[in-house]
Amino acid sequence: MILALEEVVCGYGGGDVLQGLDLVVERGSITCIVGPNGAGKSTVLRAVSGILRPRLGRIQLEDTDITHARPHEVLSLGIVQVPQSNGIFPQMTVRENVLMGGYPLRRDRELLKRRYAEVSELFPIVRERGPERAGNLSGGQRRMIEFARSLMVNPKLVLLDEPSLGLDPKSLKAVFDNVALMNEAGKTILLVEQNVRIGLGAATHAVVMESGRVRLYGTSREILDHPEIAELYLGGHVARDAAPA
Amino acid sequence: MRRATPERLAFSALLVACFAWLVAYPLYSHNQYWQNVLFFAFLFAVMASGWNIISGYAGYVSLGQSAFVGLGGYTTGIIATRAHISPWWTIPIAAAVAALVAALLGVVVMRTRGHSFVIITIAFLLILQLVALNWASLTGGSTGTTLPLTSYPREWQNTPFYYVMLGLVLLSVLMTWAIRRTKFGTGLIAIREDEDKAGAVGINTPVYKVLGFAASAVLVGAAGGVYAYYLTFIDPTGMFNILYSVFTVLAVLLGGRATVWGPILGGFLIELLREQTNVHFGASSLNLVIFGALMAAVVLFLPRGILPTAAAWFVGRRTRGVPGVAEGALDLRPGLALAARPEERPAESSILLAADGLVKRFGGLRAVDELSFYVREGTITGLIGPNGSGKTTAFNLIDGMMRADAGEVRFEGRRIDRLPPWERAHLGLGRTFQITRLFRQMTVLENVVAPLRSFSLAQLAAGAVAGHEVERAQELLDFVGMSRFAHAAAGTLSFGQQKLVELAQVLMLDPKVILLDEPAGGINPTLIERLVEKIRELNAMGRTFVIVEHNMPLVAELCDPVVVLARGKRIAAGSAHEIQRDPLVLDAYLGEGWTVDEAVTA
Repeated sequence: MILALEEVVCGYGGGDVLQGLDLVVERGSITCIVGPNGAGKSTVLRAVSGILRPRLGRIQLEDTDITHARPHEVLSLGIVQVPQSNGIFPQMTVRENVLMGGYPLRRDRELLKRRYAEVSELFPIVRERGPERAGNLSGGQRRMIEFARSLMVNPKLVLLDEPSLGLDPKSLKAVFDNVALMNEAGKTILLVEQNVRIGLGAATHAVVMESGRVRLYGTSREILDHPEIAELYLGGHVARDAAPA
Repeated sequence: MRRATPERLAFSALLVACFAWLVAYPLYSHNQYWQNVLFFAFLFAVMASGWNIISGYAGYVSLGQSAFVGLGGYTTGIIATRAHISPWWTIPIAAAVAALVAALLGVVVMRTRGHSFVIITIAFLLILQLVALNWASLTGGSTGTTLPLTSYPREWQNTPFYYVMLGLVLLSVLMTWAIRRTKFGTGLIAIREDEDKAGAVGINTPVYKVLGFAASAVLVGAAGGVYAYYLTFIDPTGMFNILYSVFTVLAVLLGGRATVWGPILGGFLIELLREQTNVHFGASSLNLVIFGALMAAVVLFLPRGILPTAAAWFVGRRTRGVPGVAEGALDLRPGLALAARPEERPAESSILLAADGLVKRFGGLRAVDELSFYVREGTITGLIGPNGSGKTTAFNLIDGMMRADAGEVRFEGRRIDRLPPWERAHLGLGRTFQITRLFRQMTVLENVVAPLRSFSLAQLAAGAVAGHEVERAQELLDFVGMSRFAHAAAGTLSFGQQKLVELAQVLMLDPKVILLDEPAGGINPTLIERLVEKIRELNAMGRTFVIVEHNMPLVAELCDPVVVLARGKRIAAGSAHEIQRDPLVLDAYLGEGWTVDEAVTA
């Protein structure tokens, strides 16, 4: 277990969105949160990364209590979040945007250089469009830059909020190939995904959320095979088709 | 609409008590000092209330508000010294002059936003001051003008001005309150939240802004007239005082922007502070330092102002432990019927929308490069292509968010590429966005009723959320399954929920052709199925769709024909079946060996 949430209650000032949420993320897993719109999936990621402070409950990373940690403290402990949209600095170049992700390493220029080289190896767009203004990129290209940027700090746990959003089929495949690669390199991944087909296809574990609570947790296989869940939340036929024959 | 909570009732009672006290005060106390302090508090309250309309609601920050005090003051001064007419005539004339000049200024500064707008309003104030200083034959120049005394008994002292100014405060509150409840008010807020989007949903933004400007000046002009009588002597530096503009801004920021009572509260607090600092530090400029520090403190610690912060605190306390906008369980009732304007479908499909040789450059990059395609009436046309191939830019050129460098857009055979976005919306062109662009601080229901199918002056005064519009909006919210959140602020919804509300919003326009930019992105699969169903249903009723989407199974199921873009050009067009065999499409977009089946089982 790398991350555990216990009885977490939290919201945005107009009532509670998470209403006593218990969730465990296994070390080395790709855990995918699915559920209806407004179930509180993105809120879980915000609570973990310190953007939102839980009103009640406890969040633990390995042996450290991070319930009340600030975003920069959470980052330095090795959790990095890629937000849902609009996370890039449009006036900066692609290169500057990616280097921004290495801000905590700014004193170690050698390390920064090496990481940048690794990241641009993984995401060729970083090298190809490096000197261009990031604002000129399309929605999907911007997400690639955001992924590249998040890897600059070599995190333990990567939080991805709907990585499939706005990606064309080719980029989508590339991105999820990279999710698998990061996982193989030892990084635990917690992602929120509406594209259940691809999200559960890539995940080892799955969480079904409903009304700010966890409805069901298991391996992604178990979730896909669960008939009621498939019918209710995954859009019947899509989930059936996703299960290999 | 809003429930009468205990806090709200207490607040109303407090307001009534304050007002009663202000009315009664001169009757039992003859303390002229405090009457004068209150008179200035009223003046700042009126100025702040006016400023709140153009800057709080519409988001256009002006530092020229005291220009309208000067205009009102000089208008009354000039008339009163030349013709012996009653203040009951000169003050309304002052109000009219201020409103007219404000409207003219509005026309002039129409194209500027942000910093340049602020600079222009300062310039406007200084130019008026210069005119007053140099046109000595009219204004008396730097020696100023002395107004004739009004004719009421001397023992009343300044009390009549006190009551007239208090009346103006009351009128300001009523005007602000009324504006917030009409189409005019929601239109102004839409402009503040996202001016381009406001245009895209059919709001005639220039007219709204000009009228907003006039509304923000009219009562301030009247107050300037009263102020001039009260002073009996006016001069350019006193009447066109930029410091008063700054006080006005500070009053609104302190009390709470875009609220009815915030500017009033702020006006009173600023005057009390100004009086105290004048008494204790008046000889030096230390009072200005104190105001500077206050401004910094407000921005740092009370960024929303006193009233909104207090309201948020009460809401937070009341809703503690109550489920918030998180609403997980899917509503699986069978699809709700959706009434639309009945319309017979034309027997023969014809070209409804055509793009012809469109070019759009961003620096060296040709995002859209000689793009031509057409959409036949009654079709669901898909627009697909790799990220960066120009799909969203093409939408922007069609709906008027951007202007093409070359090429034509034709709708129903008529060129529309020179029309502003709201006119295109009125013709029947609706559009949603890839990243949602709702008016975040409006409620969900206000967002859905915000789109306007036409423009008329009468519409401005129509209730913002009223009549059969509300029924239709509720129906649309039911359709997307969001009616439970009708009164939540749009900004508090999750991304997927915002997409659904935006869909309801565009359907409110009841457009002939609907451009959907990645409608399925971020939407739960069960809802996607319902979305597909509803698009079919609307299509059967005669609506034409153009859909940008990466969800290929959805495109294959729904769209015919499909147009494929790459690097800003059309590389293929045909049925989904045809294009997925096209080697160009496979190479540019789908990748090697792709089939629809594979997309499903990937």
